[in-house]
Amino acid sequence: MIFGLLAAGCITGMELPPRAAAEVSDADFNALKETVQKLADQLHSLQQTNLIEEQTHEKDVQELQQLQAKLAETQQTAADAEQKTVAAAQTQPLPRVPIDEATVNHNFQILGDAEFQYDKASGQKGSFLLADFAPIFLYRGGDNILFEAGFDTTIQNNATNSPGYTTTFNLSFAQLDYVMNDYMTLCAGELLLPLGTYTERGAGWLNKIPDDPLAVDALLPGSGVGAELRGGIPLGDAGKFINYSVYGVNGPSSADGTGNAGALDLGGNVGLRSDDAVANLHSDPSGGARLGIFLPFKPHYDLELGISGQSGEWDNAGTHLWSAGVFDAALHLGPNFEAKGEYIQTRFGSDDLGQISQHGWWAQAGYKLAGLNLELPVINDLEMVARYDFLNDGLGTKTQRCTTGFIYYITNTLLFEGDYEFLHSNDPSQVNQLILQLSYGF
Amino acid sequence: MEIDDLGADGNGTTVNSMVMKKQKVVSWGGWALAAVCLIGLGLSLAKAGPPDQKAEPQKSAPRKLTGAELYSMHCNRCHPERYPTERTAAQWKTIMLHMQVRANIPGSQAKLILQYLQENSGR
Repeated sequence: MIFGLLAAGCITGMELPPRAAAEVSDADFNALKETVQKLADQLHSLQQTNLIEEQTHEKDVQELQQLQAKLAETQQTAADAEQKTVAAAQTQPLPRVPIDEATVNHNFQILGDAEFQYDKASGQKGSFLLADFAPIFLYRGGDNILFEAGFDTTIQNNATNSPGYTTTFNLSFAQLDYVMNDYMTLCAGELLLPLGTYTERGAGWLNKIPDDPLAVDALLPGSGVGAELRGGIPLGDAGKFINYSVYGVNGPSSADGTGNAGALDLGGNVGLRSDDAVANLHSDPSGGARLGIFLPFKPHYDLELGISGQSGEWDNAGTHLWSAGVFDAALHLGPNFEAKGEYIQTRFGSDDLGQISQHGWWAQAGYKLAGLNLELPVINDLEMVARYDFLNDGLGTKTQRCTTGFIYYITNTLLFEGDYEFLHSNDPSQVNQLILQLSYGF
Repeated sequence: MEIDDLGADGNGTTVNSMVMKKQKVVSWGGWALAAVCLIGLGLSLAKAGPPDQKAEPQKSAPRKLTGAELYSMHCNRCHPERYPTERTAAQWKTIMLHMQVRANIPGSQAKLILQYLQENSGR
């Protein structure tokens, strides 16, 4: 037993670590203490930082959870909206919205012109004059439908001993145009008649000379109530085309119902009589047509030739015909030179004077001085114009008129015109006159 | 008073001289018209230039005219040139319908002119 106790004691002693017997100096101890203190401080700082980061992380987690919740809500809302849209589209088609103004289906505009004059006729006192105010209403009701109407407004002194003046507001044309295709347009209403081209394309501010050609005013009806087919057919791709018009109108009539030559009325048969009856004044309408060809050589160089005519009854009894034929031509040689004219012949039967033949013609030319390349300010805006008129009315009156003048282009639409008309006629009312005109196209 | 009457008291002579004067004036006026035409015609032809000395045969078909070319060809034949910026695109559409009817312009050409005007209207 004793021997066992001694052995256990030895073994235990061998297992127990030996007690250090080395000594530690104060300096080493203090250094060690300081190091331990530093480590303790660092540990504390790290613990603080970790605490802050934990708090920040916790906030981020909360924010992320909130965003996830909102995303879920948005996705749900979008899904609901899509379902509603699909449901609505199935029940009602979406309204068509114009892409831009160019596709708007309806448009109303006022175009037209106005002319103000100073006139001095030989033997008369000079006077200012509102020559014309001619608005044109355009209403487009779609891509192919146009309604257009033009008016002439003039003022005139009342008769002697009647003070004041009278305003006349006259409908010059009112027609509905339906563009059936690229080659054909149907027109109906009070039509501008395609006898020659002056009435359709030369009146108002388009006219380079203040007065209309004598033969056009005296021999041709400017308008007629009826229907028309018209259009242009291209010839190749170089710009050439044929243009045509075919029409039927009530036609000329007799002012007093008789067939006497002096009763011929070119514009008074509009379908509604003075006794409120709706009727043509004679038996049958008149028919007419124009065929023209446009030949461009290059831009600003072109020639147009046309031939037109109309024929039909004119007296109430329907025993006499009135017929007209017109040959028209227009030439452009460059942007500065233009020449145009018409030859007009009409013929009608009458009770008192038998067959009456009338004819007239006019030719006019214009040259813009900008073509001289002088680069002078006033000169470049001037155009010199001249016209020769002849009229034989078939009733004994012959008139020749020569007009020379100028146009000063204040702007491209505001023109100052001046001309002098030399008259030679066996009608004493036809006298020389000076006309100054301010003309505005809008 | 008849223009051709000759009175025994010599009034007819005065009338005849007035008629002669008028005829001279009209005659001078006619010459003035002819002069304007000839001068303008001559200047225009001179500006057109001489034809090419060597005319090469065309091997390809002539190209189609553009809207700008058709515009310059048609849109100052009757009135001074109107600029695209004067109207809006919708207004040009209305005006071109009016012009297509008045000038009997083929529909295909009118569409190209309208496209040119609308693209250059700026509004």
